Amino acid sequence: MTIRNVRDHGQRYRPRMECLKKVEAVMLEMQDPKTGVKSQPQRLVITTIPHVITGEDIVTWLANRYSIEKEEACSLGTMLVAFGYIYPIQDHKRLVIKPDASLYRFQTPYFWPAQQWPVEDTDYAIYLAKRNIRKKGMLEMHEQEQYNSLHKWMNHKWDFIVMQAKEQYRAGKERKKPDRVVFDCQERAYWVVHRPPPGTISAMDYGLERMVDPNTEEKQTSDYFRRIIIFTQQSIMRPRVKSSVSIGALVKYSITYYKHDPFLTPCLPSNSWVTDDVTFWMLNMTNVETPTKMRVERWTFSFGELLSDPRGRADFRLFLKKEFSGENLAFWEACEDLKWGTAATMNEKAQQIYKTFLARGAPRWINIDGKTMEVTVKSLKHPHRYVLDAAQTHIFMLMKKDSYGRYLKSPVFKDTQKRAIDPNPHRFSVTQLEANARKRRPSLSPIIVRQQEEEERARMATSGPVDITQLCRFTAPVPHLAVYSGPLSSPPFPICLPHTPACPSPISVTIDSTPSDRRWEDGGGAGEREAVDQEGRGMAVSSRSRVALSLGRLLRRGCNPSTVFASLSPKCPAPAGTSSRVQPISTDQTIQAPPRSIANFFQIKVDIPPECRIYPIDSEDEEESGGASKGIGGEGETEGQVKEIICPWECLTPHQGAG
Amino acid sequence: MGKDECKTMLDALNKVTACYRHLVIALGSTSDSQNLREELKKTRKKAQELAVANRTKLTALLKDKTTSKDDRAEYERLWVLFTSSMELLEVDMKRSLELGQDFPLKVPTRHFIQTGMTGSTTTVAARAMSVQNMKYDADSNIDTTDLKELQAEITQVGQMMEEMQMKVQVAPWAVEAKQEAGAELKSTLSIGNSSVGVISICEEEPKDEMDEGGDDNGMITCVAGFMFIVIVVIAGVLGYFVVGG
Repeated sequence: MTIRNVRDHGQRYRPRMECLKKVEAVMLEMQDPKTGVKSQPQRLVITTIPHVITGEDIVTWLANRYSIEKEEACSLGTMLVAFGYIYPIQDHKRLVIKPDASLYRFQTPYFWPAQQWPVEDTDYAIYLAKRNIRKKGMLEMHEQEQYNSLHKWMNHKWDFIVMQAKEQYRAGKERKKPDRVVFDCQERAYWVVHRPPPGTISAMDYGLERMVDPNTEEKQTSDYFRRIIIFTQQSIMRPRVKSSVSIGALVKYSITYYKHDPFLTPCLPSNSWVTDDVTFWMLNMTNVETPTKMRVERWTFSFGELLSDPRGRADFRLFLKKEFSGENLAFWEACEDLKWGTAATMNEKAQQIYKTFLARGAPRWINIDGKTMEVTVKSLKHPHRYVLDAAQTHIFMLMKKDSYGRYLKSPVFKDTQKRAIDPNPHRFSVTQLEANARKRRPSLSPIIVRQQEEEERARMATSGPVDITQLCRFTAPVPHLAVYSGPLSSPPFPICLPHTPACPSPISVTIDSTPSDRRWEDGGGAGEREAVDQEGRGMAVSSRSRVALSLGRLLRRGCNPSTVFASLSPKCPAPAGTSSRVQPISTDQTIQAPPRSIANFFQIKVDIPPECRIYPIDSEDEEESGGASKGIGGEGETEGQVKEIICPWECLTPHQGAG
Repeated sequence: MGKDECKTMLDALNKVTACYRHLVIALGSTSDSQNLREELKKTRKKAQELAVANRTKLTALLKDKTTSKDDRAEYERLWVLFTSSMELLEVDMKRSLELGQDFPLKVPTRHFIQTGMTGSTTTVAARAMSVQNMKYDADSNIDTTDLKELQAEITQVGQMMEEMQMKVQVAPWAVEAKQEAGAELKSTLSIGNSSVGVISICEEEPKDEMDEGGDDNGMITCVAGFMFIVIVVIAGVLGYFVVGG
């Protein structure tokens, strides 16, 4: 007994197969003795089998009947063959129509690919067993494989299958010879369509099954008309675009993506679906070292393309790391994670994101305008999946308008572009194709892939996304930086403060809304005290442990500064909504040196070459780090301390920081 | 004994199912005819009788709690055979209903599909009914009247299947088949000789299908080889005499 969850009340329909009913009508028309396709008898050695048709006849008939060109008639004919309504006699594995004298025959209606009769594996097993009998055990390779796998998982039915195969074989023998030949051809053609041998392109790839039969005529009840009315009303209200604009967009899209569409341009080295050679997939894997040229070209099309390709995103992340503005991308990714993540973790995630990115003095504070920040913080009281949407959009547009352009001109990108590989096209012979088909193996199980991804993510989290954005003076003492550094002592404070220009804070509005801050800090209250205690001990924390500290601890402590130092902080150094292209007033020297040591300070494991002081003048972050670094001054930071880990705010004793 | 009876009945059901399938495949093609419809009807009725008989027997055997473990396993195996046959039968019946409706006999504008099969299916039906010759005595509108009956029978079969599932608790996946892979090859030596005298090399499938008449070819090669050896022996003997003489 086959287990059937849905008792088959005709509930399984294949969505793209609406055309089947229409094809059946075509087939019936072709049978007309007067106006249909002319058939001839086929002469074999002894027997004559009637009703064979030539490809040419079919194509001509289709062209005449539907007044179409020969090419279109050819493709229509190929469709008929691919669905299995007509089968080729001579080259039975290639389901195409050849508009010459090659012979075809009509398939019997039982074997038509009807909408509601799914192809059963039991039948296939019986067919294979029958074929086994007839060929005396010499099945083809793919048939043998299928036979073995069916035998394995249908083992409980195997007696039945053997019995039924034998009986059907004997019953088949009862018919006359010509009919037997025809029957064998029919059955074989049916299974070529529904269980295609390797190398045959099947038309029966139909996707998920639906619960509704697309072929039934819908009853025109009042509900049906009501739906039509609603639909038309909504269509009237829809905003309209001028056709010149929309068509122009379509044309532009087509031109841009023409070469990247595997249906229109052959993909290099070869289309893995067609040739069974997996080089193409290997070259385009997620974490590949050198991407292909086509892939890199796609990144230049739009920012969305760059972000949606994981390799592109990684490249962009690297670029931002060098520019010290990685928090934008990190925030964007965190928002995506929130949007698509599980509902159970949503609250926690929102909280963490707030602490890491949005709170005043957060370690990776992002710069969004006051209005958005106000709205976001307010709605964070009742977090839901899309609570950060506005902020995310803002950051996305920021990255797109600002960093993306620079990325495309950056050495990082140019280097990737130069190194991108351009594989040569494969040219496989038929035997090679068959060999490829035989070598097909399933890829890694998705469970393993997911495990690997999670390991990767954990590794990235522990190694720290080490770009520091907010070394503002009032964030200086803070334990939230403890991840990358030890907790700080207060001395740097007075040094830092006077140097900072007091700019109006974009978050000034939100400073008033401390209640929301307070709420988030409930958990961190205890940690606050702990942080203060540990400040003294902080020096002792080694650089290694800093790096090893988990993100969680960072975030827990991260909110502390907001309450502790809120009163102390003047307006935030972050320029209010301005595009922050204002150059810090202090000399370049002070700007350059501390960032580098900061960079080394945080990027303990990464070696930043001195020339990579890409410190874009117009980056917002520069303000903050510039401000902070100004505050910290060049004291104690010299070029020679590239390798040491120094707390920039502990400017007095270099070795202390290293301890 | 219960088991042997069951087996014979199941074999019969199996045979009828196979023949029914052959008949349904011919529906709508050029070998369709009044006779075919009648054959279908008769085969169907026979299948149903066998099904009911099988079912009562098997349910009785399976409900009996006193059977030994081996016996029970055997009955479960037979049960799986039975249900699989019934499933095939049910599907074929539904399809014959649909095809019968799509291809009515008497409508002149509705043409049968020219599949190349033109012979009759009498022999198949005769095999199903286990008779020598089929007798045809149905009236001319069998295709329409039969369909109503067919619908009723389909619902009947469906109900029977559901009842069966309810009453008998058998886990089909737990049954182990007795036949191993390739078992169908073993007893097929007797099958291959039905048309020995006919040399039929099918031109349709030049390469791998000399086997349309493959089993015939086997016999023929044996015979040819034997003849050849005989001739060689005779030639040798004559030659010996010539040389000797």
